[in-house]
Amino acid sequence: MTSFLLPLLRTGIALLALAATGWAMAGKFVPPGPRFHAERIGWSYALGCGLLIAFVPSSLLIGARPNWIGFVVLAALAIGLSRSLAPLTLPSPPAGGRGEMPLGNPAHFEPPLPAGEGRGEGSPTRVLLLLLILLGVAIYALRALTEPMWANDFIAIWGLKGKTIFGAVGYPERLRSLEFAHPEYPLGLPLLYAGISFLTGRWDDHAMALIFPLFQVATLLVLFGWLRRRGVSAAVAGLSAATVAWFEPLYSGFLTGMAEVPLSFGILLFGAALVDALDDSDGGALRRLAFAAALIAALKNEGLFLAVAGALLALIFGRGRRWKVALSAFGPALLVRALHLPWRSRIPVADLDPGLFSAERLWDSLAAAAMLPGWPAWAGLGLLLTLIALGDRVPAGKRLLLLVACAAAAYVVIPAFAVRGPAWLIETTLLRTTAALAPLAAAAVAVRFPGR
Amino acid sequence: MTRRAAAGAAAALLLALVLASHTWAELPRRARVLAAFAPKELAVRRLGGSGTAFDRRYFSFLENVRRSIPPSAKGVVIVHVPDDPAHVYLANYALAPREVTFGFATNNVRVSGVIVATYGPPFPPDAGVLARFPEGYVEGPFP
Repeated sequence: MTSFLLPLLRTGIALLALAATGWAMAGKFVPPGPRFHAERIGWSYALGCGLLIAFVPSSLLIGARPNWIGFVVLAALAIGLSRSLAPLTLPSPPAGGRGEMPLGNPAHFEPPLPAGEGRGEGSPTRVLLLLLILLGVAIYALRALTEPMWANDFIAIWGLKGKTIFGAVGYPERLRSLEFAHPEYPLGLPLLYAGISFLTGRWDDHAMALIFPLFQVATLLVLFGWLRRRGVSAAVAGLSAATVAWFEPLYSGFLTGMAEVPLSFGILLFGAALVDALDDSDGGALRRLAFAAALIAALKNEGLFLAVAGALLALIFGRGRRWKVALSAFGPALLVRALHLPWRSRIPVADLDPGLFSAERLWDSLAAAAMLPGWPAWAGLGLLLTLIALGDRVPAGKRLLLLVACAAAAYVVIPAFAVRGPAWLIETTLLRTTAALAPLAAAAVAVRFPGR
Repeated sequence: MTRRAAAGAAAALLLALVLASHTWAELPRRARVLAAFAPKELAVRRLGGSGTAFDRRYFSFLENVRRSIPPSAKGVVIVHVPDDPAHVYLANYALAPREVTFGFATNNVRVSGVIVATYGPPFPPDAGVLARFPEGYVEGPFP
């Protein structure tokens, strides 16, 4: 087993170091206290990965080969910089409020939980849900780690770029014009792959798959922690996390290596931080929003679109905070895309042509999308809509659902621009792109059941 | 039925649907594959994996080419390979970070500093051949 286990151990140590670095920085993004613990662990992984993504091009720009020494220096700088930020503040609970009151501006939150409700530590339901979540994580880990990452898009796009950056210690000119590798895609994931390889000293596309189950764990921690903080009972938050943990259209062997799993994590971080920032839940919300916006813009093109959608939602719902929140949602995403300019594509996008759009093609796209899912997917969507209808009208849930709807609409409309026809793009991408919305959709639905 | 009970039933049904949709049958096979391949080197694990299932002999060829390329080589031209996307993508990935191009006849692609890797027979005489293996041979780098 040593051929695989030793590199896996090396990768694990590197990822642990990233998370530890993220943890040291997270104190200025996520407030202290037990209510934020689960979220802080998830955010730590995100911050660590984000730092490594930034580390690789920073090193290359100064002509240095990325290595542990450089990373430790950058990590120390980043931790020092984060420590210099103002301490996080938590709004006071209202007069007469109890410790169970969700943190934040009380005007925007649901009433506190009745005494004893939503608790029941060690109850059979909670134990069962915890076991279910752990089993879901273990099964995805088995799927992700069975063999070296193999999906077509990993071989042709994400892995190819990461392996090339690592092997060439730079970004060769030809990657800007290699059409099948989509030079117009952002480089966050390839830089993460390259960064892990620089730290472990070799390109191992099997051990590196460990990144993905850890993205799943971080997603579940943030989902559970955020829902609990929003006043949702442990049972509902656990049920939501268990459903996401077992959602195979996202956590599959096929999607391991592609951008959807990290993007789904980033979208959840972005959505949760957006509604926190709109509600002024705590002093770290705007920082979390800015970081999440940068992360999703670095991972996929639709990250920038979601940042724009989030900014528009902020302008609509943000009241006195609208500009501050909108700027935090959009500014960092735009900055990340601007930072891609030195590595930008030298060729026009081959798959899409704005001139092709027509009402007829949009209809074709919608028709192809309607034909795609089988009955289990339609049944699942029906149950999701039922849950939305049965839930309370919680502002946070409404905003998250709008964000999900914006992304889903984009995924159905964009194929109307496809050169090879709307049906082709729908059939090749829609199921996996919409699967990446699952954690955010789970948060949007579950938050409508506070205190139950 | 109260709203709360209906929501609980819908949520439980959704979880049951997600669990029922799982491809359970593949899990024992995955465990067996992992146990069988984990002791082997990385290239063998990829050779036995899904990404090379369309043409395992081709990946074996690419791996042999990768191992025989001298550090001085500027790039690799691959000859006599089907030009479908799967073959093109895998060659670029397996030989990264080197630049990979595709040719159809060995004589037309002898560029200075470049390795020419030919997939399959006929095998030429030994002169000028850098390495030969069951799936093909490598020539160059050319002056």
